[in-house]
Amino acid sequence: MIVGEQKPLEEIMGLLGDARKVLIVGCGTCVTVCFAGGEKEVGILASALRMKSKLEGHSMEVDEVTVQRQCEWEYIDPLQPQLKEYDVVLSLACGIGVQAMNERFPDALTLPGLNTTSLSLPVEQGVWEERCQACGDCILGLTFGICPIARCSKQLLNGPCGGSQNGVCEVDPDIPCAWQLIWERAVAFGQVERLLEIQPPKNWSVSRDGGPRKIVREDLRLTHVE
Amino acid sequence: MAEKSVSEPRILAFCCRYCAYAAADLAGAMRLRYAPSIRIVEVPCSGRVEVGEMLHAFERGVDGLMVAG
Repeated sequence: MIVGEQKPLEEIMGLLGDARKVLIVGCGTCVTVCFAGGEKEVGILASALRMKSKLEGHSMEVDEVTVQRQCEWEYIDPLQPQLKEYDVVLSLACGIGVQAMNERFPDALTLPGLNTTSLSLPVEQGVWEERCQACGDCILGLTFGICPIARCSKQLLNGPCGGSQNGVCEVDPDIPCAWQLIWERAVAFGQVERLLEIQPPKNWSVSRDGGPRKIVREDLRLTHVE
Repeated sequence: MAEKSVSEPRILAFCCRYCAYAAADLAGAMRLRYAPSIRIVEVPCSGRVEVGEMLHAFERGVDGLMVAG
């Protein structure tokens, strides 16, 4: 899932500046299940902003709303009539939601209340670990289901490197060496010979290196009859 | 937030129906006295109390808050 973390309250206050009336817009999907920007977090942040602004001597009126998905037009369109009442909108969605709001409602300035951090797996309650970097050219089929792009600090295609010690990465002992994990999986499946094949440099043009990515599915597009 | 009273801090207590609220009930039956500025809210379980509800209580002017269960 897309995982985010709420920005520090001081930073959010700085972004809001002198705004008198603020609408906080939460998102009911990814950031709800990672406890960063759902209905509950919207309510908590709204309370905090109201109290902090009052303590600092400039009362801020803060309203709350949470939509099911902030990254789709049909879910945010119903917000339009109320947006003109606010000096600023604070989104607790991921960066996609923030940009969707700004694109759809150019007259309303929508600011981010979260830092969107990663595509992560909730490995246990309260712990999210990065598992995917959306590189656009999945190699999990070569690496026994463990991604060295997301989980190896050097994004090696032919690992491990010399910094792998006792199964952990030299960068941080809390990071398991992805290539050690891949090797153990290869051993478990009796297919270590597959790792002897040297992987050529990866095609990064389908990742961020090729610029912003876009998918067009003609079979899904609506056709307009003249 | 309402103006604070210096003499009598307002305390809100969220009490679990099955233990803390029953204890408060018993305190009443035993005619034990506690400050009249304490307000008790019965909840089905103290785990039911959300952070947002506690913050709302502070916004509405309570000076202190207790979750008992």
